[in-house]
Amino acid sequence: MKINFSLNGKSMDLDVDPMSLALDVIRGLSLTGTKEGCGVGVCGACTILVDGKPVSSCICLAGTLSDKDVWTVEGLAEKMPDLIDSFVENEGMQCGICTPGQIVSAASLSSADISNPEEIKKYMAGNLCRCTGYQTILSAVEDHLAVN
Amino acid sequence: MSERRIDAVAKATGAAKYTADIVLEGMAFAAVKRSDFPSAIIKSIDTSAAEKIEGVLGVYTAKDLPGGANLYGRRVFDVPILAAERVRRVGDPIAAVVATSREIAEAAAELVEVTYEELQAVTTASQALLPDAPAIHDKPWEYEGAVVSAESGRNVQSVDSHGSREAAEAALSKAVNVIDQTYATPGDHQGYIEPQACVADYHKDGSLNVWCTNKSPYRLRDVLSTVFGLDPSRVEIMPTVLGGDFGGKGSPGDGPLCTALSILTGRPIKMALRYTDDLLATDGRHASEIRVRLGTDEEGHLVGGIVEALLDGGAYAGFKPVVTVNLHGIIDAAIAYRVPAFFVESKIVYTNNQPKGHMRAPGSPQAAFAFESALDELGRNSGLGPIKIREINLLADGDENPYGTTWLENRGREVLSLATSQPKDLNVPDGWLYGEGIAIYARSMAAVPKTSLRLRKGEDGRVVAEVPIPENGAGGQTVVREMIRNGLNIDSDKIEVRQVSTSLLPTDAGVGGSRVSLGVTVAVANAIKAWKEMPPEQDMVEITTEAGSDGPSGAYSAQLARVAVDPATGQLRVLEIISAVDVAEIVNPKAHQMQIDGGTVMGFGFGVMEDLLEDGGQPWALTMGEFKIPNVADVPKLTTALLKGGKGVGPNNIKAVGELTNCPTGAAIANAVADATGVRIRRLPIKAEAIYWGLKEGSAK
Repeated sequence: MKINFSLNGKSMDLDVDPMSLALDVIRGLSLTGTKEGCGVGVCGACTILVDGKPVSSCICLAGTLSDKDVWTVEGLAEKMPDLIDSFVENEGMQCGICTPGQIVSAASLSSADISNPEEIKKYMAGNLCRCTGYQTILSAVEDHLAVN
Repeated sequence: MSERRIDAVAKATGAAKYTADIVLEGMAFAAVKRSDFPSAIIKSIDTSAAEKIEGVLGVYTAKDLPGGANLYGRRVFDVPILAAERVRRVGDPIAAVVATSREIAEAAAELVEVTYEELQAVTTASQALLPDAPAIHDKPWEYEGAVVSAESGRNVQSVDSHGSREAAEAALSKAVNVIDQTYATPGDHQGYIEPQACVADYHKDGSLNVWCTNKSPYRLRDVLSTVFGLDPSRVEIMPTVLGGDFGGKGSPGDGPLCTALSILTGRPIKMALRYTDDLLATDGRHASEIRVRLGTDEEGHLVGGIVEALLDGGAYAGFKPVVTVNLHGIIDAAIAYRVPAFFVESKIVYTNNQPKGHMRAPGSPQAAFAFESALDELGRNSGLGPIKIREINLLADGDENPYGTTWLENRGREVLSLATSQPKDLNVPDGWLYGEGIAIYARSMAAVPKTSLRLRKGEDGRVVAEVPIPENGAGGQTVVREMIRNGLNIDSDKIEVRQVSTSLLPTDAGVGGSRVSLGVTVAVANAIKAWKEMPPEQDMVEITTEAGSDGPSGAYSAQLARVAVDPATGQLRVLEIISAVDVAEIVNPKAHQMQIDGGTVMGFGFGVMEDLLEDGGQPWALTMGEFKIPNVADVPKLTTALLKGGKGVGPNNIKAVGELTNCPTGAAIANAVADATGVRIRRLPIKAEAIYWGLKEGSAK
């Protein structure tokens, strides 16, 4: 099936298998920052932004991206360098496999959504990290939202 | 002050390349048909339907493997690349499909028809030792690397022990207060977010390039060259970034299978596991049943102790890399204490469950849960209380531990005091029961692993450090840069640290055992010295360090868990975990703190949620939906108290930290539950149901 959508600010015309997943289509475009983790929408490593909302691309059919505004970590690195800097400066990562997903989820948050740092945990609970114990990731998001 | 991680920008922008991101020209994709039964004879394999699928390039079974090679392992070669006549666990690979895409390969693998003759399965460790238990391997002592003999008994992978059973029994028989209880922990998985993956590219000239989610590239090279009879100098393990490890990525993974398929097809082969396959078919933490008997005199001094551990090794022993094919964490159960007559035995058996290997401090989380729970029970039962019994029995400076070693210093009492003296600022829900529990852990850290590295002059006055270690996230490469920055007094942006393939450096022991910083720092310190003495016309220095010891030394941690329990439902809320950690110098404070926090969260997961749910020969936790690891909202308040000023090892005067905080947590939480409710939980993970029934019946199930 033919789909048209905006990917990282650029218009894309693709012919995709109706059964293909957004994750595989995006990675197939050499945008390998979007990672496959659990494959069932639990771990968040594959998170992309679809019309501003975080979506697990491993359980999202590529066809549903039609006419949507889609962003991956590669695009956000250009669009929101301050968010990337916040993760870098706070060392909100170790092995890094969950990091793109953490960053994409954080990109969907605005200070208006959050009245205290505890609430960030609810928003970020869909992004698992096995290395850090989460504290530096929370610091990165808090700094970014300046809710300290 | 530490500088930010060397790998931070690449990881935060999606640029870092992991194994699953590798694409080679002409690459084909592999998937396997796995066993549906825990124990069965393969009667027939029909690959015809799979072969007819468009895009399938070939379907291979054990008889097709090149050169008749089939068995591999990290020490014991008992793991089949493809099961030949028999399957020994759900998930054993039986046939491999190579196709033009991953999806086609996976779909075709499901079309491979296998007929089985089911055999009685051995589904628990204790069942494996029954006199009439089926033999899972006919003659396990004949495998290369086996440490058992025909006299070892049926289904035994290995037995390790320390001390005299007779002396310990005699001491216990004279003890005034004794505890004799058995504690259990389930099969667990490392829970890294990156599933295992491999790309193998064999060339007609006999050379082989492999990208693999593997943290021990030199060992992987040796395994592959041994299995396929290849010249080790032609086997090149390529640099990759590891997406989490925690012991699981010491495994050769699908390196042997992908290599075989590349030899057979003449193409680069990629196989990336789905997470379900990773939960089903890799090597997690051994389930344990550990009986602990401890006895004290009238004043509470330990006079004797016996620890007997029975561990479920699963279908293969091949994922344990050490010479004993056992878990040293079990043997070291009493390493923090003065126990005059101590005996420990660790028996690992074959079952038809998933094979088990190394997971963050192999054996220690299980042993710490058992030993620290038993000591707590003894302290409470004898009236001394959980803190006093530890104070009395922890080793002091100059004391010999039960293994005959005297460490440079023993700071168990200090970390205990630090953990129990932190301020409390918590909200306990109304009507809930509040409790605190303590647990101690100590580990030896004298071993300096062999490694090698090279410093090279780059352009514009830059220094390039070529290292053999993959970056698994712990920050080893950042440590290298910081040492060079300090040692050569140059700016960080003039230093490049680069992992190179196994062909470009002589050796390395691999990442693991909390010793990366130690091994690397010894090599870097030597390299910096050589660099400073280097004649101007020379443009590089290469250093190889042999395995050695810089001890004897050790490090301690103490954890205090603060919990609340809803008496109506048994629901447990861990409010805070305080980690008091014994440290010397800290090379990179942020990375050090993340090891403490990440370890504590992993210990918390082990304590309250993680379980592969192995039952009847079938693991039931086959997605991250069922196999729960902590998310950010689950994590309790984490408090760290550093006990500074310790005597470290190596050129930087450091203590190992990576495995200090994931080991005591299970016991600390169980001890806190006992403190809050009087209910003693002797099986992890701690479930609300167990607390509820314990409250109801006055004792835990």
